[in-house]
Amino acid sequence: MPNHLRNPSDAEIIRRIIDGDVNSFEHLLRKYQDHVLRIVKKHVPFQEVEEMAQEVFVRAYQALPGFKEEGGFGQWLSSIAVRTCYDFWRKRYRSREVPMSDLSENHRDWLEKTWSHQSDTSFYEKSRVKEARETLDWGLERLSAQDRMVLELVYLEGLSVKEAAGLLGWSAAKVKVRSFRSRKKLETLFKRVIPT
Amino acid sequence: MKNLQHTYEALRTILREAYFGKEHVEVGEQWQVNAMRRIRALGPIPSGSNFFLFFEQFVWRLTPATCILIFIFAALLFKLDFTPEYEVFTSLICDTEELSLAQLFEF
Repeated sequence: MPNHLRNPSDAEIIRRIIDGDVNSFEHLLRKYQDHVLRIVKKHVPFQEVEEMAQEVFVRAYQALPGFKEEGGFGQWLSSIAVRTCYDFWRKRYRSREVPMSDLSENHRDWLEKTWSHQSDTSFYEKSRVKEARETLDWGLERLSAQDRMVLELVYLEGLSVKEAAGLLGWSAAKVKVRSFRSRKKLETLFKRVIPT
Repeated sequence: MKNLQHTYEALRTILREAYFGKEHVEVGEQWQVNAMRRIRALGPIPSGSNFFLFFEQFVWRLTPATCILIFIFAALLFKLDFTPEYEVFTSLICDTEELSLAQLFEF
């Protein structure tokens, strides 16, 4: 059997799907499920990951006729995944469903130590990962959906302004401004809770 | 100042670790089945959506040009003097005296 029939390219699979072969979409789902999960897991709460991953693939399926091969299917899917996560937070913030948890003594203690141990981060052990993650979530909860997404993509993930703008479908200037402001907001939030 | 910068960098490193740590959370397998079920329920992609795609992809690209044209026409409208037209209009409306046949031949 020729190789292209055994391992059809993304373009070939997409052509088949557009021609009406819905089941061919399963090839794309299997191929890109880890890629999508990696993105979704970082942006939405754990209990929402499966639902969001489903939503990403459903949206990708519906938008398939508009897919252009320029950046590759993976890049296009990344953009859909990021925008789906952004829509999730927008909806959450609009309906005021974001729980505003408070920082416990452990978290404050962790933050204070992080702040004071400027050059020595050896205290940061595996047992502190939980505190770090919860403190981060605490800070992110207090930002808007836009600030949250930009902060995660630029400040935490380390993407360039251009890359983040491409994923979110925003202008580079908007991402640059949001990135600066959201970082400042997060720093202010942390500074406020550290006992002086 | 340098110390503060160093603190921010240290904090960022730790937060980044926490952020990337989220990737390692395990999820079930059922979501893929559910996703395919939802996609099959949608059925084949309708070809009728091509018109809307065309609209979305091309017509919206004309928006900047349309905005510029609106701006130019608005500027022209303000620049043009509409007083003469206004005076003609008021004279037609306000001067209700009807012309007689003799008046027409006076000139």
